[in-house]
Amino acid sequence: MNGFRSMAAESRRVVYAIAAAVALFLLGQAVHPGFLGLASVESILVIASFVGLVAAGQCFVILIGGIDLSVPWVLNAGAIVLTTTSLGLESRAPIAIVAALVMGVVIGAINGAGVAIFGIPAVVMTLAMNGIIEGLVLGFTGGFTCSACSSYAPPFVQALAHDSLFGIPDALLLWLVVIVLVTLALNITRFGRATYALGNNPRAAVLAGIDARGMTIMLYAASGFFAALAGILLVGFGGQASLGMGDPYLFTSIAAVVIGGVNILGGRGHYLGVAAGAISLTVLVSVLLALNMPDYVRSIAYGVVILGLLLAYGRERET
Amino acid sequence: MQPDTTADALPRGNRLGHLIAQNIGLILAGAILLIAIVGFIVIYGIEQQRLPGNFELTSTVNSAVPLVFAAVGQCFVVLTKGIDLSVGGVVDLANAMAAVTMGKSLASALGWSVVILLVGAACGLVNGLLVALGRLQPIVVTLGTLSIYQGLAIRVLPEPGGMIPPAFTNFLVNPNAPYALIFIVVLALAWSAFRRSRAGVDLYAIGNDEAAARALGVNILRTKIIAYMLDGTLAAAAGLFLAASATAGDATTGNSYTLSSIVAVVLGGVSLFGGRGSAIGAIAGALITTLIVNILFFGHVNPLFQSFYEGVFLLIAVVVGGVIGGTIRRRPK
Repeated sequence: MNGFRSMAAESRRVVYAIAAAVALFLLGQAVHPGFLGLASVESILVIASFVGLVAAGQCFVILIGGIDLSVPWVLNAGAIVLTTTSLGLESRAPIAIVAALVMGVVIGAINGAGVAIFGIPAVVMTLAMNGIIEGLVLGFTGGFTCSACSSYAPPFVQALAHDSLFGIPDALLLWLVVIVLVTLALNITRFGRATYALGNNPRAAVLAGIDARGMTIMLYAASGFFAALAGILLVGFGGQASLGMGDPYLFTSIAAVVIGGVNILGGRGHYLGVAAGAISLTVLVSVLLALNMPDYVRSIAYGVVILGLLLAYGRERET
Repeated sequence: MQPDTTADALPRGNRLGHLIAQNIGLILAGAILLIAIVGFIVIYGIEQQRLPGNFELTSTVNSAVPLVFAAVGQCFVVLTKGIDLSVGGVVDLANAMAAVTMGKSLASALGWSVVILLVGAACGLVNGLLVALGRLQPIVVTLGTLSIYQGLAIRVLPEPGGMIPPAFTNFLVNPNAPYALIFIVVLALAWSAFRRSRAGVDLYAIGNDEAAARALGVNILRTKIIAYMLDGTLAAAAGLFLAASATAGDATTGNSYTLSSIVAVVLGGVSLFGGRGSAIGAIAGALITTLIVNILFFGHVNPLFQSFYEGVFLLIAVVVGGVIGGTIRRRPK
């Protein structure tokens, strides 16, 4: 217990976020026996991995005090670029995946440049970008009516979202790799220290020799990358791209970051907590679904849980 | 706009320059609004071979009113350096309640309007308490309450429907003449009075420097709660106007007001960093947003590309505004 108390507040928040996820799993088992079965847990974690990937990018930009509101349509664009480039052909899968990811990185980098070079507030820049991508995607696909738009994801991408390796779903393995890489990048590399430094005090960070513009552009590019990656996985999971498939991921990704214990003003927090946050939110929805709760209860419970967790963390606040 | 003693210390010739520098956001918003109005008249004139008349003015005003109210509400909170993502949820809830409760007579519609505005104020109170008393970040508090208010709205009205008495529609958004302009003028006058009140001065003080405001004896808790309650009330009013326009209810049409109210506030020259801007700017921003939609419509722009142009326009307005504003503020005195 002493060890726990001597932990840094943000490390304690990671523990809280994980505890919340575990508690919600147990609650699920209590109200719906079989909830903790292997298949059920696996499918919940796979769905959580989509949220978790988007939230990885969101976590990067929130750590430097920014926010990415362009996630929904970057995700949707990633999905449609994948299907229209590949046309469902296995041979075109590699080029399609690369095209979708490059698109995400470029859009993210433009977001970062708008924020870092033109000094546009992140909310405005990424909100405008979301509209711009929405307009471009809808315009060029004729509102998803183009003949290539109904293409399925190539078998490889579908397998990525559905198949398992050593009994663990591929999507989950991918997410585990991302969790390890992001955690390492943030905690033991120069890049990670520069990210926290920028979030805590941009002026001091610049004086310490950190390239604030380059870092900002890179972090927003990472957010675009992860949104596009989630788009690819989702289209593999569902088979086809659909209009508005990215919409639920905007507020969910922010919520996962926040209940994962990352300070919304930047500078503090760990991706491990965010991953636990993504799992908590997904388990919560699954529990309510298992209880046959109508949509509106789900929506209300979502809000209450977010606020409840925040108020619980609020006691930890270091002012 | 701001009570400003430095202007008195300046030589006469510099006072105007100082006044311009202080209100540059509002002046730019006015300029963009003027350009948007002229642009609309020109495009309309070319397309229809005549000038827009009473019908066009009325429909533009009527479609702008809900956003005007939501944007002014958002403005109160943004001035305190906060942001309200729950605006869309409150608009939904008010819209849904209006459709379910109002019945057929104007009297019952007006009575329920008061109740609905109070519900909006209560939604704002919850936000304000969580932000000011719970000391949580506004963006995450309102993200949570957005979900709750949207859920309540769907509980009240699961399927689009219900009804709004025609007399109520005529009262709020008369389709024959732009009477709704009166509500916008009243809102602007009410803002001017508020701006000069103790709460108005405190609002700017908090937005500029909360620690300094607290040190000077500003009641942070009270002022923030007032800001969020006014915000909730105005968002509910936006929901009433929306329901009146649609003559029926829908618990999801209000969702878009969260983001569009932020866009309107930004276009209106209100700083997202708090303490700068005014509700007059927010009103201008809401009108600009509505006019752009009309310009794109009459310009025969493929509606699928609409949000592309809106996004590009928002960025250009913010970048150009920032450059002009920055140049004027930095000008040597």
